Amino acid sequence: MISVEVQYYALLREQAGTSREKVSTSAVSAQALYEELRARHGLTPDVSQLRVAIDGEFAGWQDALHDGAEVVFIPPVAGG
Amino acid sequence: MARFEFSEHPLDPGALHATVEDRTCGGFASFEGWVRDFNDGRPVQRLEYEAYARLATKEGERIVAEAIERFGVTHARCVHRVGELALGELAVWIGVSAPHRAEAFAACRYIIDEVKHRVPIWKQEHYVDGDSGWVNCERCAAAPNISAHEHHGHDHDHGHAPTPAAIGVHAAGLPAPDYSRQRVLPEVGDAGQARLRAARVLVIGAGGLGAPLLGYLAGAGIGTLGVVDGDVLDASNLHRQTIYSLADVGRPKALLAAARLRALNPEVDVRPYVQRADRAMLPALAAGYDVLVDCSDNFATRFVVNDVAVLLGKPAVAASIYQYEGQLQVVKPGGPCVRCVWPRTTRPGVVGNCAEAGVLGPVPGVLGSMQALEVIKLVLGLESPACDGVVLVDLRTLETRRVRARRAAGCAAGPCTEVDAVESLDSLEIELDLGIAGATVGWTVVDVRDPAEIRAAPLSIARLQVPAARLAAGDELPESAGPVLLVCARGQRSLLAAQALAARGIAVRSLRGGLAGQPRRD
Repeated sequence: MISVEVQYYALLREQAGTSREKVSTSAVSAQALYEELRARHGLTPDVSQLRVAIDGEFAGWQDALHDGAEVVFIPPVAGG
Repeated sequence: MARFEFSEHPLDPGALHATVEDRTCGGFASFEGWVRDFNDGRPVQRLEYEAYARLATKEGERIVAEAIERFGVTHARCVHRVGELALGELAVWIGVSAPHRAEAFAACRYIIDEVKHRVPIWKQEHYVDGDSGWVNCERCAAAPNISAHEHHGHDHDHGHAPTPAAIGVHAAGLPAPDYSRQRVLPEVGDAGQARLRAARVLVIGAGGLGAPLLGYLAGAGIGTLGVVDGDVLDASNLHRQTIYSLADVGRPKALLAAARLRALNPEVDVRPYVQRADRAMLPALAAGYDVLVDCSDNFATRFVVNDVAVLLGKPAVAASIYQYEGQLQVVKPGGPCVRCVWPRTTRPGVVGNCAEAGVLGPVPGVLGSMQALEVIKLVLGLESPACDGVVLVDLRTLETRRVRARRAAGCAAGPCTEVDAVESLDSLEIELDLGIAGATVGWTVVDVRDPAEIRAAPLSIARLQVPAARLAAGDELPESAGPVLLVCARGQRSLLAAQALAARGIAVRSLRGGLAGQPRRD
C-alpha cells in the first residue's frame, strides 16, 4: 500500500465532494487509482475525457504511482 | 451625397426617397420619426433638437456603413432634423433599398436603433404648461465620448441648453491618454509602451473573460484590438460582464464592447466582428493580428483558435472557467498547445458551461485579468511560466497550481500533428490515391508542407510548394488552369489552408489523410 495526495478539479471536485484527500491505495497506475476512486465517489467521466498530473506534470494513465505522490485529476472546462 | 446628415430645414420624404432608388433593388424600407404631443404624461407643444454635429455626423456615418456591410443592402440613408420642430413634423427619415425586403427591413431597424442609442442628439421639449426640459437621447450613457451629456441633461432640466462648445471640450478636447503609471515600471518604459501601441491583439469572445480583458488591454494602450463575438447581450450576462449596461440587452456584444473601449481609450483602433469565430473566417482574420486571445465559452471554438494560432505560428492565450475554478494556458510557437493537453475532441457534456454549472462574476474576472496580463507580457517580451503548461486556479481555496505539459509525442520535432478539424468539413476534403496514373489530372497539386518536410520526402506531382501557414495568412496562388488540390503530411494543415482559400472564392480541395493516409505499395 502507498499513500498519495489526490486533488480534484471542477466537475470531479463537485462529485467527490472535496477538493483534496489523502488516499491509501494498492493501485499501481494512475488509471487504477482513478477507477478505484471513481467507484468510491461515483465520478462520471471516464479516463478518456480527463487528464492526470503526477507531481506537477501531465502524466500518462499507465504511469506508475509512488508513495507520497501528488496526483491531480483534471477535467476540461470551457466556461467563459 | 452623405449617407448620414443633419438638416436645419423640413425634410421632404419624396426627394429623399429618390436618392435611394435603384433598378437592382426589389425592396425599399423606410422609417420616419415624428414629433408627438406627449412625453412621460406631459403634453408637448413643440421641441428642439440639438446635436454636436462633428461627433454626431461621424457616428451616424459609421452606423449607416455598418448597416450596409452587415445586411448587404444597396443604399441606406439617414437624415435627422435639428432646430425647432412643430408637432407632427418629421424628425428623422431613414430609407434603405436592397434586392430583397428582409435585409431592407433589418437594416432600417438597425439604423434607427443605433442612431437613437449612439448618436449624441439632445431634445428639448416645450410643454403646454410653458415649462420645458431636455431629454437625453436614448441610452446615450453607453456611447463613446459623450458621458458629459447626461450630466448636462440634469444640470439644465429647467430649460438652459447645453452648449455644443461645452460638450466639445469633452468630446473633441479630451485629455490625452496617460500611461505614466505603467510606463514607470522598468519592464514597460517608453520602449514597452511603443510595443503595446504597435501590438495587434484579436480577442475571441466578449463575455465573462473577454469583458475585463478588453478593458485592461484598451487601458494599457494596445494599438489594435479586434473583438469577435456573434452573441447579443443577455441580462444574465451582466453579473460578470460589467462593461455593459442593462439598457444594452439584446444588442451585439462586439459592437457594445467596441463603443465602450473607444470611450475608454480613443487611441485604440477597435475592430468589432459580429460573428461566431469558426474555421472559415478565423485564419484570414487572425493573419492580421500578432496575438490571439481565446475568451470563448465552448470547446469547439477553443480548438479552432488554438489550431489557427499553431498554423499561423502566432501565440495564443487561452482560459476557461468552471464555477470557482479556472484554467489558463499560453500557447507559444514550438511549445505545447491546447491539443497537447486535450488531445481528444472532448464531449461537450463533460465540461459544463456558465448557464448549467453556475458561476460567480469575479471568477471569469480574475481569469480574464490574468489573460490580459499574459497578453501584455507576451507583447513586452517578458517570460511567463504559463507557456509550458496549464495554470489551475481554485478561487475557493485560493490555491494556484501549475502543471507542466510536454508537446504531444507526434509533434515533438515538427508541426503539430494534433491540429484537427472539430467540425466535419467533408465538402472540402477529397479522397484520392495519388499512386494511380492520372489521379490528379485537372488538379493543380500544391504541396503545403514546410520546406524541410518536402526535402525529406519530395512529392513529384506537386506543381507548387507553398507552406499552409502562408496560404492561410492570405498569400495568393498564381493563376492556374484547374481546381487546386492541397497536400500535407496528414491532411490537417491542408484542410485549414483549403478553408482559407475557399473563403476567398477559390475552387480548392484538401487531400483527406494527407500523404500518411495514402495506400501503401510495398
